[in-house]
Amino acid sequence: MNLQPLYDVKERLEYAAIAGVSLLGEDFRLQRGLEGLKPLAAASPVFGKIDGGLSKLLTAPPEQRAGLLLDVLALVDAVAYTQAKTGVEGELKPLPAGGGTYHQISYGQLCPLLTALTTTGGGRMEIIQSAWENHPEFFEDYRVLPGVAAGLGDSYGEIAELNARILKQVGPSAVPVLKQGFDPAGKKEMARRVEVIAALEGEKATPWLKEVLPNAKKDVRATVVTALGGDKSNAALLLDLAESERGKSREAALAALALQDGNEVSTFWEKELSQNSGSLRFLGASQADWASDLVARRLWDRMEEILARKESLTNPEVIELRQWFSAALGKFSPSMLDFWRWVDAKLADIDHLRGEKEQRLGFGREVTALLLESLCLAGPGPLCGLCLELWERHPKETRYLSHAVVAALMTRSAAEVYDIFSPYVPTIKPLLGGEQKKALHSAVLKGLGRLSRDETTGAYQINNAWPAAQPLDRRWVKRLTNAVWKTTGEKTRTGYGGDIEEYDKILMGLLDPGDQENRQLVIAHLREQVAAGCCMYHYCRDIFRLGGDPVGVLGPAMQKHSNTIYLSHVLDLLALAQERLPTAQVVQMAKELFVVKAYQPGNQGLVKKSYPYVIAALEAGEPVPSFERLRNMG
Amino acid sequence: MDLTEQFILLQAPNPAAAENGRKLSKKGSFSAHHRTEDDTLYWAECAGSGKNPYRVSIDFTNRDAPTCRCSCPSRQFPCKHALGLMFEILGSKPFETADIPRDIADKRVKQAARAAKKEGAADEPPKPKKPNATARKKKLARQLEGLDMAEKMVDELLTSGLGTLAGSSAQTFDKLARELGSCYLTGPQTAFTRVALAVRTVQKDPSRADGAYTEALRILVALRSTIKKGRTFLEGKLKAGNFSAEDSALFEALGGVWTLEELGAIGSVRENAKLAQLSFDVSLDEARKEYVERGWWLDVDSGEIWQTLNLRPLKALKYVKGEDSRFGLLEIPALYIYPGEGDRRVRWESASTRPLTAQEQAALPRLAQPGVAGAAKLVKGTIKNTLAPKFLAVLLPVGSIGRIGEDYVLEDPAGARIVLRDRAEDGADHACTQRLGMLPREIPAGSALFGLMFYDGRDRALCLHPYSVVTPDEILRLQY
Repeated sequence: MNLQPLYDVKERLEYAAIAGVSLLGEDFRLQRGLEGLKPLAAASPVFGKIDGGLSKLLTAPPEQRAGLLLDVLALVDAVAYTQAKTGVEGELKPLPAGGGTYHQISYGQLCPLLTALTTTGGGRMEIIQSAWENHPEFFEDYRVLPGVAAGLGDSYGEIAELNARILKQVGPSAVPVLKQGFDPAGKKEMARRVEVIAALEGEKATPWLKEVLPNAKKDVRATVVTALGGDKSNAALLLDLAESERGKSREAALAALALQDGNEVSTFWEKELSQNSGSLRFLGASQADWASDLVARRLWDRMEEILARKESLTNPEVIELRQWFSAALGKFSPSMLDFWRWVDAKLADIDHLRGEKEQRLGFGREVTALLLESLCLAGPGPLCGLCLELWERHPKETRYLSHAVVAALMTRSAAEVYDIFSPYVPTIKPLLGGEQKKALHSAVLKGLGRLSRDETTGAYQINNAWPAAQPLDRRWVKRLTNAVWKTTGEKTRTGYGGDIEEYDKILMGLLDPGDQENRQLVIAHLREQVAAGCCMYHYCRDIFRLGGDPVGVLGPAMQKHSNTIYLSHVLDLLALAQERLPTAQVVQMAKELFVVKAYQPGNQGLVKKSYPYVIAALEAGEPVPSFERLRNMG
Repeated sequence: MDLTEQFILLQAPNPAAAENGRKLSKKGSFSAHHRTEDDTLYWAECAGSGKNPYRVSIDFTNRDAPTCRCSCPSRQFPCKHALGLMFEILGSKPFETADIPRDIADKRVKQAARAAKKEGAADEPPKPKKPNATARKKKLARQLEGLDMAEKMVDELLTSGLGTLAGSSAQTFDKLARELGSCYLTGPQTAFTRVALAVRTVQKDPSRADGAYTEALRILVALRSTIKKGRTFLEGKLKAGNFSAEDSALFEALGGVWTLEELGAIGSVRENAKLAQLSFDVSLDEARKEYVERGWWLDVDSGEIWQTLNLRPLKALKYVKGEDSRFGLLEIPALYIYPGEGDRRVRWESASTRPLTAQEQAALPRLAQPGVAGAAKLVKGTIKNTLAPKFLAVLLPVGSIGRIGEDYVLEDPAGARIVLRDRAEDGADHACTQRLGMLPREIPAGSALFGLMFYDGRDRALCLHPYSVVTPDEILRLQY
């Protein structure tokens, strides 16, 4: 049965309701619909009823039309519902299974997270972060994952970055969601999608990247090109792109090509650098020997030219030079080693280079510092030999001493390192040449500062990346705690606002807490620092970490202060003490800290009033009252 | 004490309160943890902003509905301190065994006495309430007046046309609609508000005109029917002098609110029901300015599908406890069923929860309709009633689920098909058809798909908005 006349009538009735039933008589299409319905009305009683209703509607006085229209519409709707079809023709393609993850998560658990991911406004970052910390499994659920993917375009950049980090950790199950609805002509959100997909799939992403590349625009295009660099087999495509692309996309192609290898690639770079020497900065990412040679040669030529012309450098030249030297980081081909030897020979001239306003650039120091960074980046290898060789050329200078310490830590036995370099850390004050010896001492400490002990594995590492040849010789700690100068001349800012000696940070980093004797030495040193009255909060925390206590030194140190101590920090220390010390000792410590004048003027009244209460709480074994609670005591 | 995070969230008045409780637990605000030997009472102190800590306790005498007590002044119940204490239990913090504190022991005794009194009262036949006949008669007369006014409003609206509902005429319309409320006709009042909202949607976004006008007309058709049937219903009651509640969907359509007592009085109650939740969702009803928290339940004995509605007015959001998804099986001593057709609303006073056994879970998909054709017939029969919603919740047996072109399609074991599609009226936050493409496993044989079957005017077809996949092993929820 052809029901089109019924649907035509339905449509006209709806129009009449929108336009007003007073115009019903003028609607010739409705009249036509009524005529079309006649054959159906003759065939079926229900259509006959509609036909009757319509005729009544069209002849009814205006005041009755509204009701009659709704009555006919109700009937038409009911017939339309009963005539509704189900099903669809065609071949049914089964759904791919196993693409997503499901967890039994309630609405109460999901709702705040989904709201934070999909809406705007403040406070969302904390909700997402808290959910990530407490329930990372929520993020792989198929109800959440699309929200996280959509959150890559969040107007609040930090949330977008957080979502990207989360997706990278969720793993490959996020990839189909990221590819769904991907718009290559999109904006930042789509660029982040590409970045995440490339991070998750690595080389496997290449076919998809190639598929989206032709339609990719602006940010997305640059990110796709960058991502292509992750696959070593994309060299040919990237070479083409380096020719055809412009602007950011070309820079992305160069950055990606720096990760490629092969004759064609090195030939391209030869040509590229001859035409556009500024592109040298992209080669920083390459560790290939040809790249190292190219960078060394260009740098060498450039430096020779600069030194030969004996003129001041313009600011753009200085910036460019710094970029080029950065490109040399971690490179160690024979040409690069020769270049560093040449730099050493010309260091005096390099040191004299001046800037636009005839100011000294200190480029010699900068360059040698860069060599140390390069060594730490490259790890054990030819640069170690080079650094030791350069130091041996200047054993009485500080210039390569830190380098030599690091190189020795990577390649020589612990005892050898100690024997060679410990004399630079004197334990008896020298009578002559104090300043020079202090500088050498600081250089050795800076080298040692590159070494640290991993708390979980107990292994010693350089720059948290390369293993030391051997664990640190335990004699170092005694030597350092007995050193004449307990400083490197540099300080580090703490979270509490004060500065601590870099020396102390190095010492804590080198100590093996399992070595009882050395630990006691360090605790004693830290207590001395507390007694000296600087950064007491920080040092006390370190003391607690090592299982010691500041009882007997912290109180007297506070006596030296007036109007500076924060009650909230002291309460934090007491809470820490409570975790590690017996009650009696905590109470003793608390009583020592009752030095009213030492506290901030705003805290002094509160200290007077609340201290008996604090002591009583500690004596009763109760938790240290919070600052807020003391403040609200009234 | 075997506590789950979901159980804690279920006790919370809202997710934010639970989160605040979790934070208190995380930052170590609790001290003096104690519990009784029999594990029925937990108590502790929680540091607050005042000098003295709050004393918090949770009484698990009734494990499904623990009694939370706290000395804080919060109006939220349970407060964040009680919820925090639950997180302390969940986090297996050490609780020292101790004797029950005197004050709580006293409260327990009083609580038991109250429960006994209530139980005693329940055994006695309820005293018949004497209705105030004059007041009821007055109310019915006022309602009839209101229906006349509603009819006039519908006539005027359609005479001038829905499209003209703007500016001052919209304001007059709103004012008249409010007057219906004072005629005890909150149902028609809400219907008019919905019509006005739909028309405003078109005015704001003309691209949504088709859907919005169709919706407005559907409401007007239902309203016309309510007015006509309501008038007959009310006149009949007035004539017969019958002022008590009746087993009729019209009572609610006019704006009546059922109490459990009234539902019990008309015999609409079932004993010892066992329900498993199939899905849960929340939506904002802009016309009534309230959140609607809807649960879909499968009666594991009869195979009927029920719905629960928890209505939370925006004005009182903080003070009305939110509902949450429920997992496992609910055993309900008395299930109260609302009058009506299709997916009838249910409520209960108390229930206990336990996990579904493997056999019970395996039996769930077997409670599905025989096939698409039978379900479609049922749906058509229901939605053609002008007063019924234009969808019906159904459980369909799955032969296979796949795609034909862009459409997701379910094919039942007999080979009949139905298109799976999100219901546009439910909004983007209810969209879940796409999630079928992300299921963790292949849907095993003997599974069923739960969802809302509805009429889609665009292709004049019945479609299914899928809500969850019920397999013999688990319920995979596409929503909550």
